[in-house]
Amino acid sequence: MLRIASLSVTLGEFSLQDVSLEIHRNEYFIILGPTGAGKTILLETIAGIHAPEAGRMWMDGREITAAEPKDREIGMVYQDYMLFPHLSARENITFGLRQGKMNRDEQQERVHEVSALLDIGGLLDRYPITLSGGEQQRVALARALVLRPKVLLLDEPLNALDSRSREKMRRELLRIRRLTGTTIVQITHHFEDVYALADRIAIMREGQIVQTGVPSEVFLHPADRFVAEFLGIGNIIRGTSSVSGHLARIMTATGQVFYASSPFAGEVIATLHPEDIIVSAAPFASSARNCIAGTVSEIIPLGNTVRVVLDTGFPLTAVLTRESCSELQLVPGSRVYATFKASAVHVIPVSE
Amino acid sequence: MRRISLALTGIVFLVISVLLLSLIAYSPLPVLAASLTNPEIQFAIVLSLVTSIVSTAICIAIAIPVAYALSRYRFTGKKIVELVLTTPLTLPPLVAGIALLLFFGTTPWGKALDSAGFGVIFTPLGIVVAEVFVNLPYMVRILRSAFSSTNPRFEHVAKTLGCTETGAFFQVTLPMARNGLLAGTVITWSKAMGEFGAVLMLAGATTMRTETLPIALYLNISAGDLDLAVAAAAILIVISLAALCTVEYFDRNTNVF
Repeated sequence: MLRIASLSVTLGEFSLQDVSLEIHRNEYFIILGPTGAGKTILLETIAGIHAPEAGRMWMDGREITAAEPKDREIGMVYQDYMLFPHLSARENITFGLRQGKMNRDEQQERVHEVSALLDIGGLLDRYPITLSGGEQQRVALARALVLRPKVLLLDEPLNALDSRSREKMRRELLRIRRLTGTTIVQITHHFEDVYALADRIAIMREGQIVQTGVPSEVFLHPADRFVAEFLGIGNIIRGTSSVSGHLARIMTATGQVFYASSPFAGEVIATLHPEDIIVSAAPFASSARNCIAGTVSEIIPLGNTVRVVLDTGFPLTAVLTRESCSELQLVPGSRVYATFKASAVHVIPVSE
Repeated sequence: MRRISLALTGIVFLVISVLLLSLIAYSPLPVLAASLTNPEIQFAIVLSLVTSIVSTAICIAIAIPVAYALSRYRFTGKKIVELVLTTPLTLPPLVAGIALLLFFGTTPWGKALDSAGFGVIFTPLGIVVAEVFVNLPYMVRILRSAFSSTNPRFEHVAKTLGCTETGAFFQVTLPMARNGLLAGTVITWSKAMGEFGAVLMLAGATTMRTETLPIALYLNISAGDLDLAVAAAAILIVISLAALCTVEYFDRNTNVF
């Protein structure tokens, strides 16, 4: 739907080099990367704010490389919302409608519709300065969505929110996508956003896209060391959780069971840092709740450490020092035990 | 330290207050009111108002695009351009005036303008030109500071919402710079009302022709008519106090000075 080919942009000390992306209709696409990777510039270039030095862009087959931002049918919401402070929430939302000389009745209709979608009917006559961060974000989303863009660009939309509101806003974003059919491209550096939202992701570094793919693919097969280190988390396990007390019993699709400290029941995604797994030849006696048997399927040296991929019914990645790896005499096929604490497992409920 | 600085602040306050009061106390209100009916003072008030309003409007029209360019775009030689644009700010108005006089009086461009009917030397038009030249840098600086404090992302969003570049400027950036624009307008206007040196050089001091309020003050003091001079001064004080209050009111957030 949105196709970007070999895009290059230079802006002061920031630049994009040879960026190519293909984003599909109704997809939730997340761009992940460290600060200064050029993520915001990429979004702004897609929106038509910066003219690329090289490369082309198409929307539904129509070339938009040189199109004005207003002719692209692309909406954008910045991290700091950028609500016009001199206009009320309603005037902010109708700002785009007024540019198009839409008649008043239809404007009212659209505002009504979008405020119902975002539940901001009660805020319309207030000014941005009187709204909370979450409320401002809803108004900013409404301002972009009221024009019914084909693609909505979100620049770190959850960054300024506390973790509770963030969880709520994630569900909201998925709901918006489902109800409006909008394709969403989001920038983030929160991995949780990836698990909870993304259909596909792209990893950016120094103005370049280093890897694109579905999250599980990228997490399990990072393209290079940068991606592996940047992602950090080697283990993403899907399962069904049942909770008793503060302990979640998580069963994977293949029937393995492990425990996590989490209040979330139902469909979940569990993440586990490779550093939190102890690998041993015999069952490891400790207070740790989980001790799972498996075989070594792959050993990847990474400088002073070694990444060991275990098959325990589901893939589990652990990081060992080079010494302990040679002490254990690990080779592909070795029988080992993986031990980790319930508190080391991070559980994210799967929305929808 | 605290005592000395507070005491000094008190003394400065008293001195300024006494100076202002002595001027008002010199001519009691009836005398002042009588001076206001004097045709020369009336002419000066009208001429000052007209020239200052026209020159302020010209300053706004020029300063908006210039200040925007300086706050948003990078270009080679920007530092030099900024420096040259700022010179009239520190130049003594008399020097600015003589530069204008030489430009319009001796250069081919100046002579061409004069023969085309735009004579500025010793004419009311010269008053406007002198005021614009001296005050434009203030307007540019104030507006530039106002534009710079407006995040360009507001314009970016406006463009994705359907604005052209110009539309985004007029619907978002300019309204957001409103306080700076108002403060700049008031300062430029009050400085134009009080401009003397550059006006004297370019437009001269001709009674009932290029006689603005400061020129009236000067001419009447020279002629020994203290009542009229004080009347002109009193009007100028009222204007500057009003301007100060307005600027204080609108400039709470921008803090350009």
